[in-house]
Amino acid sequence: MQRRIPELSRRTFLLGSGAVLLTACSGGTTSGGGSGPLRIGASLPLTGPVADVSKPGYQGYQAWQKKINAAGGLLGRQVEFVVLDDGFDQNTVVANYNRLISQDRVDLLLGTFSSFLNLPASTIAERHGMLYIEPSGGAAEIFERGLKRLFFAQPGTTKDVPDRFVDYITALPPGDRPRTAAYSTQNDPSADVPVQIFQQKFEALGIRTVHSTNYPADTANFDAMAATIAQAAPDLVVHGAVTADGVGMIRSFQKVGFSPKFLFQTKSPSDPLTFPDGIGKGNTEGIFTTAAWHPKAKTPGNAEFVEAYKAQFNEEPTEDAASSYTATQVLEAGVKAVGKIDQDAIAQWLHANSVPTVSGTLAWDERGVPKASMLLVQWQKGQIEVVAPSEAATTQNVVRPKPGWA
Amino acid sequence: MRKLLPLGALLVACVPPFFVDSYYQNMLIMVFLLAIMAGGWNVMGGYTGYISLGHSAFLGVGAYTTGILANAWGVSPFLTAPLGGVAAGVLAALLGLVTARARGTVFIIVTFALLALLGIVAVNWSSLTNGSHGLVLAIPTWDAAYANWPFYYALLGLLALTVLMSWAIRRSRFGIGLLAIRDDEEKAAGLGINTPRHKLLAFVVSSVPIGVAGGIYGYYLSFLDPRAMFTIVASITLVLAALLGGAGTLWGPVIGALLVEPFSQWTNQQFTGPDAGAWRLVLFGGVLLLVVLFLPHGILPEIQKRLKRTPATAPVGKRLDHLPVARPSGPRTFGPALLEVTGLHKGFGGLRVLDGCSFDVKRGSITGLIGPNGSGKTTVFNLVHGLLRADSGTISRPPRLARTYQLTRLFPRLTVRENLLAGARRPEKAMELLEFIGLADYADKLADSLSYGQQKLVELAQVLMLDPDLVLLDEPAGGINPTQIEQMAGLIRQLNSSGTTFLIVEHNMPLVLSLCDEVHVLANGHRIASGTPQEIQRDPLVLDAYLGADFRELHGTNS
Amino acid sequence: MVTFLQSLVFGVLVGGVYALASSGLSLIFGVMRIVNLAHGGLMVAAAFLTYTIWNSTGLDPFLAIPLVCAALFALGCLLYQGVIRFAWRGGEASIILATLALAMIIEGVLALVWGAEPHNVTPSYVNSSFRLGPIVFPAVQAIGFVIACVLLGALYLLLNGTWLGRGVRAAAANPTGATLTGVRVERVNVVTYAIGVALTGAAGAIVSVLAPFMPDSGDRWIGIGLAIVVLGGMGSLAGGLAGALLFGIAETMTTTYVSTAWATAVPFVVIIAVLLVRPQGIFGRTTRRDVMAG
Repeated sequence: MQRRIPELSRRTFLLGSGAVLLTACSGGTTSGGGSGPLRIGASLPLTGPVADVSKPGYQGYQAWQKKINAAGGLLGRQVEFVVLDDGFDQNTVVANYNRLISQDRVDLLLGTFSSFLNLPASTIAERHGMLYIEPSGGAAEIFERGLKRLFFAQPGTTKDVPDRFVDYITALPPGDRPRTAAYSTQNDPSADVPVQIFQQKFEALGIRTVHSTNYPADTANFDAMAATIAQAAPDLVVHGAVTADGVGMIRSFQKVGFSPKFLFQTKSPSDPLTFPDGIGKGNTEGIFTTAAWHPKAKTPGNAEFVEAYKAQFNEEPTEDAASSYTATQVLEAGVKAVGKIDQDAIAQWLHANSVPTVSGTLAWDERGVPKASMLLVQWQKGQIEVVAPSEAATTQNVVRPKPGWA
Repeated sequence: MRKLLPLGALLVACVPPFFVDSYYQNMLIMVFLLAIMAGGWNVMGGYTGYISLGHSAFLGVGAYTTGILANAWGVSPFLTAPLGGVAAGVLAALLGLVTARARGTVFIIVTFALLALLGIVAVNWSSLTNGSHGLVLAIPTWDAAYANWPFYYALLGLLALTVLMSWAIRRSRFGIGLLAIRDDEEKAAGLGINTPRHKLLAFVVSSVPIGVAGGIYGYYLSFLDPRAMFTIVASITLVLAALLGGAGTLWGPVIGALLVEPFSQWTNQQFTGPDAGAWRLVLFGGVLLLVVLFLPHGILPEIQKRLKRTPATAPVGKRLDHLPVARPSGPRTFGPALLEVTGLHKGFGGLRVLDGCSFDVKRGSITGLIGPNGSGKTTVFNLVHGLLRADSGTISRPPRLARTYQLTRLFPRLTVRENLLAGARRPEKAMELLEFIGLADYADKLADSLSYGQQKLVELAQVLMLDPDLVLLDEPAGGINPTQIEQMAGLIRQLNSSGTTFLIVEHNMPLVLSLCDEVHVLANGHRIASGTPQEIQRDPLVLDAYLGADFRELHGTNS
Repeated sequence: MVTFLQSLVFGVLVGGVYALASSGLSLIFGVMRIVNLAHGGLMVAAAFLTYTIWNSTGLDPFLAIPLVCAALFALGCLLYQGVIRFAWRGGEASIILATLALAMIIEGVLALVWGAEPHNVTPSYVNSSFRLGPIVFPAVQAIGFVIACVLLGALYLLLNGTWLGRGVRAAAANPTGATLTGVRVERVNVVTYAIGVALTGAAGAIVSVLAPFMPDSGDRWIGIGLAIVVLGGMGSLAGGLAGALLFGIAETMTTTYVSTAWATAVPFVVIIAVLLVRPQGIFGRTTRRDVMAG
């Protein structure tokens, strides 16, 4: 399945000057000649605990590949993907990126999902002077390492998740704001960082905290937690969910007969397929979340992306599919602007320019952190609607308070 | 030549960074890491026979200790990695105390649970570990061209030290003790091996290299996450490597790592696409299953077995012409009682086995203990030896006491010489004793490969290594042929004449009568008669209660 | 007080399901001294099977339990004949690693067949509940609890009233003796293993309705299963029931009163604590034999 590139002949006679050779083998920042397909390498956690989100992520790459090849390829070369599975394992992700760089000799890299994997993987890319555009994994730690060729292909990091919803609550007349709030989060950097910021900001707004918990990743039974929250009867629940725990908690709320006036959940509600399946279609009404992307957003090329994706995979694109697609768009823009595969030149260009993508127009600071804004979305009548910011809103209506469970 | 081989291997292993790209460098780094882990584990899982599913915890503890200290002091993690080893050792000592009483399945489950618990602690103790956010380490600053070299050579060096340590342990008395524990822990304890201390030390020793490796590995990743550092997957992989190569062998873990890691990476690249990981799970699980089912002892022992043709049956040892054939004639005088048993009571559940049993064994004598089946002889042995505790009664025993077992319990996977050394007080006596029993030529054979009669002799020699004042022999003539019985009797006489006292349980009446100075007869849990063989033979009580028609017949033909 | 009673109710209800979920593990260990680490994977396999039956025919997931049990019984026979009886010869390390390998294979196959995304089995009443005063009884938990009790009762009758039960008890008490007295240990083993897997399947069907599940959801059931079996005294059915209830209560109480962060630590703390306090007492005859099998 893999092409083997013979290189032994080159190695054998350079016995004494291995160091020089190694530089030649691994440090190539301008690898890839002008002929043959252009190879893009990536690793994804196609199995393991986040397998469900990385499959659409993979399809996002494929959607772009189909589009760009139909349009004649990138730099006139057909694009080929080498996607390896890391099974959500750090050793494997390190091996994979070493492999992609020094064995498969890919021309360009894309990142993997989750900060857990992107942290070690981006270090490998940096060591080899490769550009590293990551579709997902916006934990603070990754941007604090001084990596020069790292770019996050979403409009915001985990720290930006609370902004829109906090704005929305702040804008309500004081009498309509929630008076009490409960905070519950999975112990995961993608969830507990935003929930902590939510709590600080809402407390500053005078909303009293009546409950606050942090639960481990493999929690499956939320009944006792939901009952405790129900006892505290808060107006607002902010839940830092990562995957199936979002559905689990809401189902437990239903069982204990508790429906808060405001319910914000990270991540889970943005999945248009499993979320309504899990909690019941009628029960999604009024639930808020923050999204990096929305199918109806009037962002450049978004409608075409959604159409093409549906046609290709016979399912709705998810936020993760869009994030992958965004990453490829960023890569495409950089390569086209520079006109050749030069990792450093592309990185410099991306730092200096902004790129229109399906997730909005993205620009980055020197750490690779995007300077754009995320969307506040709400489930309304079985659809995910954008309610803020106003220029991106798909509806002017905001459901408040959240109706009880169906 | 054999000694040059490891050195050559080490030299060869030093070469690759000059020639191979970072993919293969990374692969070899991971091979070394896995080999260190499997090699460390091997001391506990292979030598001592305690299968741990928790050894990846030492990797995590080593990595976190190294990372936290390096960040706190602002020094290179290479400098703090040895402290990672220390932390792993300390943790192992604590866990060793915790698991001291666990064996077999219990030990496996407890180590599995400890690993999971430590992982949860690492996540929840976020003030120290930064919890689920992970701990970021400095990115190495040296030139990208040499990026992997320090990690490569550090782990290679550590692997060399691990193998060296493993080799030294295997050759030491400590190592023999560990293997003895693996083969038969109770017997090992009976030979005076301090089994709790051995196991604790083995656990600590097996953890330290893994802890140091964890520090180096953490720096290599430059990012520590509790999910990765305390994963059961790492434990499973290292156990697979050790089993595949051959648990309990010196090079097995290294060979296993050399196969498992590249295989893992190969499968990873053969399958791409959304279903890749699922296929990998199936394949990896399948290979693990195949190894367990069809190669349970591992590759190395399998090869050794194929190469070595062991002789079909070992012949009887040398003729032992130097032994006396009869008891020294004339009256013999003995010292005071060496063993004194008074009023022993012992019951199991509702069954009373001993009911006020008293007797003594005089210094310098060969004393017999006979009685019908179920009269409590073996229980007496177990009480005297200290394996069981009496319900009441007193036993005053000499300080140095040793026993053999009814069915021999040699350590099957130790050599004859190692069997003797296992509990020895004076190791230099081993060959002398093997000469004495006529089995010196068999010193380096596995105990397993000896005939049953030879094993009985070796077991006798084994207990003599303890320099005992008193030897308890449980049916020394059971299951062996008449020639060997002769030999056994000769050996006992010879040893007795040079000062060793014997207490013998035996069903072979001619042997008892010809060998013993004094005989005690047990029935229904207490002593019914004592005296010289001649007196016992004539005692009507004994004849009625125990010996019955068979003996009378025997007695008639014998005298 | 309401909080306490509510936690107690949740603990007992989930404990009933835990009892059923661990009964297979317990039975298999009791008779064969096998720690079946494939247990979690088999449970999730049953959950996926329930999903398919429910999704394609509309049959209520609880009514699908007999079908799921039958399928898992067959699978159990297959696994025993194909793997377990061979692995058994290699001692306990072999058997543990073999069942671990099975768990990996099962997870891979589940992901191939059903995909890696979370699945939900949601009959119409899935999130309804009834109340006794201020105390909430979630409908599916209550139904699951009742079914678990019924199946455990059936198992009790099976073990105490049939040839199989006598064979199982004989084999559990003393395998060699059982062979001598004419019990066909091999046949008892197959049936025991298959019944154990079928019980696990029933638990999987119930669990599929309680929470979303994915191919790797089996992992957490290994810890829970082991903890309960250990807590109840390995191989003892009544002990397992008591242990499961106690464990369910301990877990919910930890969530409510101690900290949700430590709730997943409960099974492991239980395992370690119990095995340390009385390893021999709970595992019965694990003295010398265990050392021999290295």
